[in-house]
Amino acid sequence: MTTPLVEIDLSLDLAAFELRVKTQLASGVTAVMGPSGAGKTSLLEAIAGLRRRTRGRLAIGGEALLDQARGIALPPERRRVGYVPQDAGLFPHLSVLDNVRFGARADATAVEAAIDTLEIRPLVGRVPRSLSGGERQRVALARALATRPRLLLLDEPLAALDPGLRERILPWLLRVRDAWALPCLYVTHNVGEALAVASHLVVLQDGRVEAEGEPRSLLSAPAVVGEAEAGIENLLPGRVVAHDTAGGITRVRTNTGSDVSITLAVDRPVGAAVTLAVRSEDVLVCAALVEGLSARNVYPARVAALERTGPDVVVRGVLENGGGELLARVTPAAVAALDLAPERKVWLAMKSHSIRIV
Amino acid sequence: MSAEELRIVLFTVEMAALATALILVPGVAAAFLLARYRGPGKGALDTALSLPLVLPPTVVGFFLLELLGRNRPVGGWLAERGIEIVFTWKAVVLATAVMAFPLLVRSARTAFEEVDPRLVGLARTLGAGPVAAFFRVALPLAWRGVLAGVVLAFSRALGEFGATILVAGNIPGRTQTLALAIFHDVQIGRDDRAVGLAAVTVGLAFVALWTTEWIVRRRVRRDEQ
Amino acid sequence: MPTLWLATGLASTTLVAALAHPLPAAADRRPELLVFAAASLTDALGEIGAGFEARTGMRVLFSFAGSNALARQIQAGAPADVFVSANLDRMDELEKGGLVRPQDRVDLLSNRLAVVVAACSKLAMSRPQDLERAHRLALGDPEAVPAGIYARRWLEAVGLWGVLRERVVPTLDVRAALAAVESGAADVGIVYRTDAMTSRRVRVTLEVPPDEAPPIVYPAAVLASSKTSEAREFLDYLQSAEARAVFTRLGFEPLDETQAR
Repeated sequence: MTTPLVEIDLSLDLAAFELRVKTQLASGVTAVMGPSGAGKTSLLEAIAGLRRRTRGRLAIGGEALLDQARGIALPPERRRVGYVPQDAGLFPHLSVLDNVRFGARADATAVEAAIDTLEIRPLVGRVPRSLSGGERQRVALARALATRPRLLLLDEPLAALDPGLRERILPWLLRVRDAWALPCLYVTHNVGEALAVASHLVVLQDGRVEAEGEPRSLLSAPAVVGEAEAGIENLLPGRVVAHDTAGGITRVRTNTGSDVSITLAVDRPVGAAVTLAVRSEDVLVCAALVEGLSARNVYPARVAALERTGPDVVVRGVLENGGGELLARVTPAAVAALDLAPERKVWLAMKSHSIRIV
Repeated sequence: MSAEELRIVLFTVEMAALATALILVPGVAAAFLLARYRGPGKGALDTALSLPLVLPPTVVGFFLLELLGRNRPVGGWLAERGIEIVFTWKAVVLATAVMAFPLLVRSARTAFEEVDPRLVGLARTLGAGPVAAFFRVALPLAWRGVLAGVVLAFSRALGEFGATILVAGNIPGRTQTLALAIFHDVQIGRDDRAVGLAAVTVGLAFVALWTTEWIVRRRVRRDEQ
Repeated sequence: MPTLWLATGLASTTLVAALAHPLPAAADRRPELLVFAAASLTDALGEIGAGFEARTGMRVLFSFAGSNALARQIQAGAPADVFVSANLDRMDELEKGGLVRPQDRVDLLSNRLAVVVAACSKLAMSRPQDLERAHRLALGDPEAVPAGIYARRWLEAVGLWGVLRERVVPTLDVRAALAAVESGAADVGIVYRTDAMTSRRVRVTLEVPPDEAPPIVYPAAVLASSKTSEAREFLDYLQSAEARAVFTRLGFEPLDETQAR
């Protein structure tokens, strides 16, 4: 973690419990995960200045936005914190352009830059009512960016979208992250999103910070992920090594040295860095090497651990030859049938179609 | 219509417009605050502000007279400073304003309650102060209800009788509005003039309400496109 | 947005138009005199007021109502300059309250009560007892309105009040009692003789002899709070030969200076 840009030490009484969050954010994206009702949205609203009874201290770049001890409590309009709520919250009576230009601080340059970053120029004359969910999110994001915020708060920006749309919006978020170099708090339920955009992760539970750290290591602990109410996903960073147009596959070499075949993705040039995601329930566990399997990706592995999550069991498999880890979700019945136990040798298989690029 | 009748009509419209103008800012502000306020005493405050709606107007008029009469504390204080209210046109404005106030507040408050409070909060995070957020987000989103409240208040002010006659009397040329003139005409058996003035009153109320309907309908049509 | 501007424009135009129209106080540039007077004086003072306006160039505004209501308004601070009451009690009250100075009041007129029925009515009465045939008897409110109080005292004196009180339709002033008989809302009314003379739709069926009823006195006064110097002039004009001629023609009995208290 680099120099803390944002210091957060806040408490706020909520109906069921007290929200009490103390953490520091560096530049880049910090994902906030946790079950519904853990206080994630309240945390964002407290930071934005919309919860008047918030106590404690909040500072960006050393400047206090809230410092109870010193009697400082800047109103929302003086915090320069951009907030994008889950439903985008566009002003229905204003055009897209007027929405983006709404901010009092919005200067023409920032407005233009925000419009360009999110490629919403074709939408500027429209009214929010006529936009699709993804377009609304882009406009809301542009509106927040146009005020040149010092901190960006995103509340499940993709949650309201269907999965196909999610994958199309995610690149915009990455683009904002990379082009605007803002510290950003990103509330999400989706592990894939968190891993794709965040360099830091805070897990909230009943208003407290339950766990905090580097997303990849934190999220591979099924206990944490289970509490985060998310489907456990395997994330495999790597590089594209080849396209087989005739065979309809693209080959990716993971950073741990495994070769993975996925459905053809010619939009990713050879050499491009990609992160592959596979849901744990899409990973097959085989007691013996099965011949003639349609799955393209079969790896010998050793069972490192079996962990119970809800009704299922998550098998943590360590690939041979240092090929990394894969998580597979199976039923307790399968555990019994395959006689799965730590140190047992197994084969893990993934269909090309079940692997996504995030 | 005779010159005298025309004068009564103009005077009435003028009084109603002044009363509406008088309550416009405090009424809309009260409506907005009531729509947002969640603290203790909200119910009591709501009820107190709506009281003139259900009280007999004569009770309101009586209270005003008790408050503003020359030998009463407030009225006396004002009289010493040369400000006379009771039985002048100012009393007409005041009485009609008090009676019309809850109508404006009720209608506007409902409209403000329908505005998503998070939109107002968002406007704040985008750099708008509380006043700017009100004028740029809350009011534009609630204006239909606010306008309806203004017209209702205006119409009520046009026809106010009970409170007015107590605080302002029924002085021709000074405080006599349409409602008071009609009452007086009926009292002394001048039915023919009463009929004419009543027709004018119906016409005025109709035009006021129809104008709102028209504006609101236009707005809805445009939104649907 | 255009609609919003349209609405705002409409509203402000209305407001500006309303404000631009001069307020009633300033509607007429002539100096004004506000006279509160008993409803029974409506016609007489209307005529006399016109004469005064012609002579002085002032504008005289009248508020005619029950003397009791007007006295109450004056007590509450109504900005009247002159008050003409239909009975002495109300004026005495004002004097006691310091609202009228003794030297500023005179006893102006006297009047008589009359029993009236609708012009087309077949009812005929030759003596007070015939009043028992009335179904509804319109009076100025016998608790407050002078004409009603006079009528009640007369009915009490002739021993009819007990029978008739249940049939009384009380009105806010004497002209409303007259209108009630005109419209048929009441079949019989007791009003001033002068009121009966103003209407072709009623006829007097019984004049109340002055010796049976309490004396009726109309005092007039300049109010202490009046800032209009012409108020005194108007009070004097009410006693002029010109005004007395009008009063007499309309059935009032002007009181002589010697008769005044």
